Amino acid sequence: MPNRIIKWIDHRFPLTSFVKHELTGYPTPRNLSYLWNFGFLAGFVLMLQVATGIFLAMHYKADIALSFDSIQHIMRNVNYGWLLRYMHSTGASAFFLVIYIHMARTLYYGSFRAPRELLWWTGQGLLLLLMATAFMGYLLPWGQMSFWGATVITNLFQATPFYGDQVVIWLRGDYTVGDATLSRFFALHYLFPFLIIGAVVIHLVALHSVKSSNPSGIDLAAKDNIPFHPYFTAKDFYGLGIFLIVFSVFVFFMPNSLIEPANNIPANPMQTPKHIVPEWYFLPFYAILRSVPNMVGGVVAMGLSVMLFAFMPFLDRSRTPGGGRYRPVYRIQFYLFLLVILVLGWVGYVPPTDLTIIIGQVATLLYFGSFFFVPFISKAEERWLMKRGLPAEVTALIESETLEIAKRKLNPRRRKGEVA
Amino acid sequence: MNKLITILASCCIATSVWASEAKLETVKVGLDVPTVERGVGVMMDSCHSCHSMKYIKYRDLVTFGIDKQKVDAWRGDQPLDATLLAQMSDSDAMAAYGKAPPDLSLMAKARDGGASYVYSYLLGYYVKPDGMPGNHLYPETKMPDILGMSGATDAAQRTEIQSKARDIVSFLAWAADPEEQERHRLGYYVLAYLFVLTFLLYLVKNQIWARLK
Ligand code: HEC
Repeated sequence: MPNRIIKWIDHRFPLTSFVKHELTGYPTPRNLSYLWNFGFLAGFVLMLQVATGIFLAMHYKADIALSFDSIQHIMRNVNYGWLLRYMHSTGASAFFLVIYIHMARTLYYGSFRAPRELLWWTGQGLLLLLMATAFMGYLLPWGQMSFWGATVITNLFQATPFYGDQVVIWLRGDYTVGDATLSRFFALHYLFPFLIIGAVVIHLVALHSVKSSNPSGIDLAAKDNIPFHPYFTAKDFYGLGIFLIVFSVFVFFMPNSLIEPANNIPANPMQTPKHIVPEWYFLPFYAILRSVPNMVGGVVAMGLSVMLFAFMPFLDRSRTPGGGRYRPVYRIQFYLFLLVILVLGWVGYVPPTDLTIIIGQVATLLYFGSFFFVPFISKAEERWLMKRGLPAEVTALIESETLEIAKRKLNPRRRKGEVA
Repeated sequence: MNKLITILASCCIATSVWASEAKLETVKVGLDVPTVERGVGVMMDSCHSCHSMKYIKYRDLVTFGIDKQKVDAWRGDQPLDATLLAQMSDSDAMAAYGKAPPDLSLMAKARDGGASYVYSYLLGYYVKPDGMPGNHLYPETKMPDILGMSGATDAAQRTEIQSKARDIVSFLAWAADPEEQERHRLGYYVLAYLFVLTFLLYLVKNQIWARLK
C-alpha cells in the first residue's frame, strides 16, 4: 500500500528522486568534524524561534501602553507562558552563538573559497537578516533597554548622506521611538523569519550544488564521500541532543542571565539608563561604533565590520588547501582575530573610560587590520609554504585545484553528480 | 612594548575599578512559605503605603500557600483578584517626595545585583556627618529610611532590621519570578530526559557509523 501511494505521488511530484538526491544519495565527506554540525543546529533554532514566536504573538500586545504588561501576562498567567518566553529569549542568544561558530568554522577552514563564494554570500545575507530580526525583536518587551537601544541604533541612520533626519523619522514612523515604531517592528519581526527561511532555502540550494567543504580543504574522491542519510542525520541528531542540554540549562536554570536587568523596567523616554548596552551578540560591533570619534565614521566602520566577511573570498589569496589546518600563519591570524573580537566585546560591555576607549581603538584597528593584511600575508605564506616544500600530495592538489578552477570557469556545471 | 605593558596593566586596573563600583551585601533569599509570608507582612506594614505591586494579586498569595486569613485581613474589602496597588497615588507621592515610588513587582530583577541590591539599599541608610540621612548605595535617593537602619544603634536592633529586610527581599524575589521553583523542578526532568535521549542517539550514531569499515 505505502509503495502504491509513493508511486502515485512520484508520478506527479519528484518525491523519491528528491529524497535520493538531497538525502539518501547526497554525497558528504566522511571526515567532517563536529564543527560541521552547526548549520543543522542553526536550522533547528530557526524553527524553534518561529514556533515559540507564533505562540508568543497570540498573547503579546504591540502597543506602548500594553506591551510591557502583556509580557508579564505571558510570564504569569498564560499556561507555560514563561517557558515560551524564556525559550524565545534564550533562543535568540543560541541562534547567534550557533551562527558565530558556523562562521568561525568557515573562516578557519577557508570554506568560503572557490567554488563556495555564493554559499558564503548567502550566509552573509542571512547574518544581516538575523541581526535585523533580533534587533527589532528586542524592542517588543518595551523595557528601558528595548527603548534606548532602539533609539540609539535608529539614530545612527542620521549618518545617511543628505536625508539623514528624514530616514530616521521614516524608520521610526515618528520623531521619537514610540507606538508607531513598536507596531512596525512587531510586524517586521514577524515577517523577517519567513524571509530567513527563504534565504536558507537558497543557501541550501547553493550548498547542494557545490557540496560541503571538509577539514582537508580538498575535494575528496568518491570513495571518501558517504550519503548524508543515515550517516549525518545520525550525527546531527546526536549533536542536537548536546545542544538541547546546554540550551535547557539556560532556559530552566539561568534564563535571566541573558536579560539585562534594566529591561525589567518599563520604557521611560524621560530617563536615560546609566549605561546603554546591546545584547552580547552585538557588543563587538557596538565597541567598533564607539571607538570611532566621529559619528558618521563610526557608523561606516560598524557597517564595514559586519560586511567585511563577504570580501574574504577575494582577500584570501592563498591556494593552500585546508585553511588554518595546513597554514600556520593563517591559523595564528585566526586565533588573534577571535581574541580581538573578545576584547571588543568586553570594551562594548563596560562603561566607557579613557582607558577602555584606547583599548577599543587599538582592537578596532587590529580588527580591520586582520582583514586588510590577509591578501599580503596569505600570498607570502603561500610562497613560503611552497618554498619550504609542501607535502607532495598537497602540492599536487594545489596544481590540480588551479586547473579545476580554470576548467570550472569554462564549464561551471562540471562538478555535478559524484556519488559514492 | 612599553605601551603594550601600560595597556595591559591599566586593563587590570580598569576591571578592578569596575568591580568595586558595586559593593553589595549579598543575601540568600528564602523562597519557603514562612519567609515569604513574613515578607508580605513587612511589605503590607511598611512599603504598601507608597509602593504598588501591580503584577501580584491577593489570589496569587493564597495559591502560593500563604494563610488565607492573613490575606483576607490585608485585602480588607477588595476582591481576591485585586492587585496590590499602593495606598498613595503617584501624584501625591510625587508631591511629597519629588519622585513616584516604583512598582516593586519586578524590583528583584530590575537592578544589577537583583535581590542583593534591594537588600543592600534598604540597609544602606546611615547618618551623614551633617546629621542628614544618607544612603551608601543610592546617595541621592528620595525614599526615607523606612526600616530605621540609620537610627539603629545596638546590635540586636540591627539584626532585627536585617532579618526584616531579608524577609521582604525574599518576598520580592518570589514576586519577580514566581515560577522559579516550578521551573527548576521541570528543568531536572527535562535534563534527565535529554541525557538519556542523547546517550541513545550517541549509540545510534556509533552503530550506524560502524557500518563503514
Ligand atoms: C514613604 C513612602 C515610601 C515607603 C513607605 C517605601 N518607599 Fe521605597 N521608594 C519610595 C520612593 C519615593 C522611591 C523613589 C526613590 C528614588 O528613586 O529616589 C522609592 C524607591 C524604592 C526602591 C528603588 C530604589 C532604586 O534603586 O531605584 C526600592 C527597591 C524600594 N523603594 C523598596 C522599598 C521597600 C522594600 C519598602 C518597604 C520596606 C519601601 N520601599 C517603602 C518611597 C517609599
